[in-house]
Amino acid sequence: MVAQFLGLKLRLMANTFRRSPWQVFGLVIGLLYGMFLAVFVVLALLGARFVGDVELIRNILVVLGALVMLGFVLLPLIFGVDDTLDPRRFSLYGIPNLHLASNLALAALIGTPSLVLTVCSLATVVTWSRNFGTTLIALVCAVIVVLTCVLSARVTTSIAAFLLSTRRAREFSGAIGILVLVMLSPVIVLLATVNWARDGVTVIANIESWLSWTPLGAMWAVPGDAAAGAWGVALIKLLIALGFLGLLWLGWMALVAKMLVTPHREAQAKAYAGLGWFSRVPAGATAAIAARCLTYWGRDARYWVSLVMIPLVPVVMVVALLIAGAPGHYIALLPLPVMCLFLGWMIHNDLAYDSTAIWLHLASGTHGIADRIGRIVPVVLIGIPLIAVGSIVTVYVYGDWVVLPSVIGLSAAVLLIGIGLSSISSAVFPYPASKPGDSAFSQPQNLGASAALVQSISFFAVIVLSAPIIVFMALGLFVSPEWLIGTPIAAGIIGVGVLVAGVYLGGWVFDRRAPELMAFATRND
Amino acid sequence: MAPNRETAKVVLSISGLVKHFGENTAVDGVALDVHEGSFYGIVGPNGAGKTTTLSMVTGLLRPDGGTVTVHDVNVWKHPSKAKRSIGVLPDRLRLFDRLTGAQLLYYSGTLRGLDADTVRDRAGDLASAFGLEDALNRLVADYSAGMTKKIALAAAMIHSPRLLVLDEPFESVDPVSAANVIEILQKYVAAGGTVVLSSHGMDLIQRVCDSVAIIVQGKVLASGSVDEVRAGGTLEDRFVELAGGRKAAEGMEWLHSFSD
Repeated sequence: MVAQFLGLKLRLMANTFRRSPWQVFGLVIGLLYGMFLAVFVVLALLGARFVGDVELIRNILVVLGALVMLGFVLLPLIFGVDDTLDPRRFSLYGIPNLHLASNLALAALIGTPSLVLTVCSLATVVTWSRNFGTTLIALVCAVIVVLTCVLSARVTTSIAAFLLSTRRAREFSGAIGILVLVMLSPVIVLLATVNWARDGVTVIANIESWLSWTPLGAMWAVPGDAAAGAWGVALIKLLIALGFLGLLWLGWMALVAKMLVTPHREAQAKAYAGLGWFSRVPAGATAAIAARCLTYWGRDARYWVSLVMIPLVPVVMVVALLIAGAPGHYIALLPLPVMCLFLGWMIHNDLAYDSTAIWLHLASGTHGIADRIGRIVPVVLIGIPLIAVGSIVTVYVYGDWVVLPSVIGLSAAVLLIGIGLSSISSAVFPYPASKPGDSAFSQPQNLGASAALVQSISFFAVIVLSAPIIVFMALGLFVSPEWLIGTPIAAGIIGVGVLVAGVYLGGWVFDRRAPELMAFATRND
Repeated sequence: MAPNRETAKVVLSISGLVKHFGENTAVDGVALDVHEGSFYGIVGPNGAGKTTTLSMVTGLLRPDGGTVTVHDVNVWKHPSKAKRSIGVLPDRLRLFDRLTGAQLLYYSGTLRGLDADTVRDRAGDLASAFGLEDALNRLVADYSAGMTKKIALAAAMIHSPRLLVLDEPFESVDPVSAANVIEILQKYVAAGGTVVLSSHGMDLIQRVCDSVAIIVQGKVLASGSVDEVRAGGTLEDRFVELAGGRKAAEGMEWLHSFSD
């Protein structure tokens, strides 16, 4: 039975290579990255064998190890992985619970993250091979580390698959993901403000001193404590690690038993009275598509998660720049155009979000122009108040009202250029997006390298096309204010030009390639 | 009630339709003529190319060869003109399911060029005809499979097309609703509309349709009026015979000696 389960997992992995070249390319990149990471970490750990300061190495290992463990626990929860070895898939085979639970846990040891972890934790045995006692206990802990991390990932993956089985819950998980990011940002800011060159060692030691008593860090701290001579502390931490592993195992067994007899959860439907946006727009296909998009922006987690991220990006950027010592005066001008950049870019793969539902546009012979314009309406409706309020706030913080037309011009132009280019790219280069109803953070399994290419090109093309406007603005700010007159003029010409050309070209492509877009959607559903 | 096959005008004409997927030929020279006012059934085993054929008829999938004309308009040369007279129910494609039932009907009608008041009237009529009144304010994503099928069927009819192309319209629809839908379709056909549907239900096709085509491995093996095709037997017998006959259930004796 064990051999069958391991064989099944290996076969599943091998089959991921039997896909299109781009997907295999992405997969190979992932594997190479994992190997590179493993080699790097192993070399570092081997080198650490010859460093005399045992406590420093222990502290660093505990902090990094705890992060690794946290990754194994949290990533499946946030990203909602597609679990190929979900216990429920074996429910009809009548396998005894103990066998099923242990076999699935063993099968989870096969996989890139697990392999990298195994290699790295075995390398820690070398790091701690100071004498026979520390080598032995390091070996025990390496086994504990691998089992704990892999089992934790199994448990959270199953919990995610189990609890997030309803549509609404999956959407909610997107909200949790944002919450985690928001909560992490002050921690990152805090960590970024530490003077690492001076206080780094002390800070890590402080973190280690409490982290090593938690299940996250205990298993990493045991050999280090032993090497430092604190065998009593080491044994207590070993007990913590073993106890946690035991609890995890019991939890996993219980979870498998529970999942086998529990069907999918049923969601409760909510009623929406009336036609919503549809009754608030004029007649015609374009308006109807706009109403549909507006409805989706409000209801579909994939849209509002991206929308919530937009104000977060400039915050992180400004903090990073301020810490780096950039002048605060000029940084005030950045957030608004950056938000407009992301807002316009948001719809660069809008068509793929519809998945195969796009058949309705084809079957009804909807014109490409109507499709394109309808899709940009939500962006424009959000963009207008954003620029109106944002430009006033920006100029107020900047402190000189001379730049107001330039700020409005640049932001509006960036938004319009983004919309124009997005109108083209979503019709010309759609790439697989997370499907309707999936978590906003889940990525399609077969996301090839082409996606990254489209994303970066469509993003940087906006910046390239706005370059003349940015140049006028920079000349106005740093050379002579007369240049500022050029900013809104250039913004108007380029912005409107790219928007009109983009919508027209995108619509033309949609009309010609609609069946191919349909075929793309069917392939990726 | 069967239309006069000689005099009725040809509404849908398919000739030499071909579609390859890589090495595999899904549709291999399908040719069919569907007359006005006819209730046309397309049957075939799984993977016979029914859905592929219907997708090419409705303009969703570009054919590798052959022509499709609807009311003498070539679907692939003048798509927007041809599509105006076709109502489509695809199989296994998503709907805009974040809309409520009412919104989806409104959206479908508006994309088809109907004005707001007409759409609202018709949506109400369709909802009561299909028994969806209580579900109109819920998201289509929360519908059961049968309800989803019914709302899609309603959306396919909302612009009163001359030709309805329905792929597996009765799959997972309960018998009562199916009877309602059939009655609606029969009245539509009596008034001069044309229905082309695919189904696995031989009884249903034999009972409801006046003409039928049997497609196996991308080829039309038999077509004509139901009586012609079934040639005295039942449609199911004829279908099984054409589809390669029943597989003899030999060597399965172990199934009759139970393991515990």
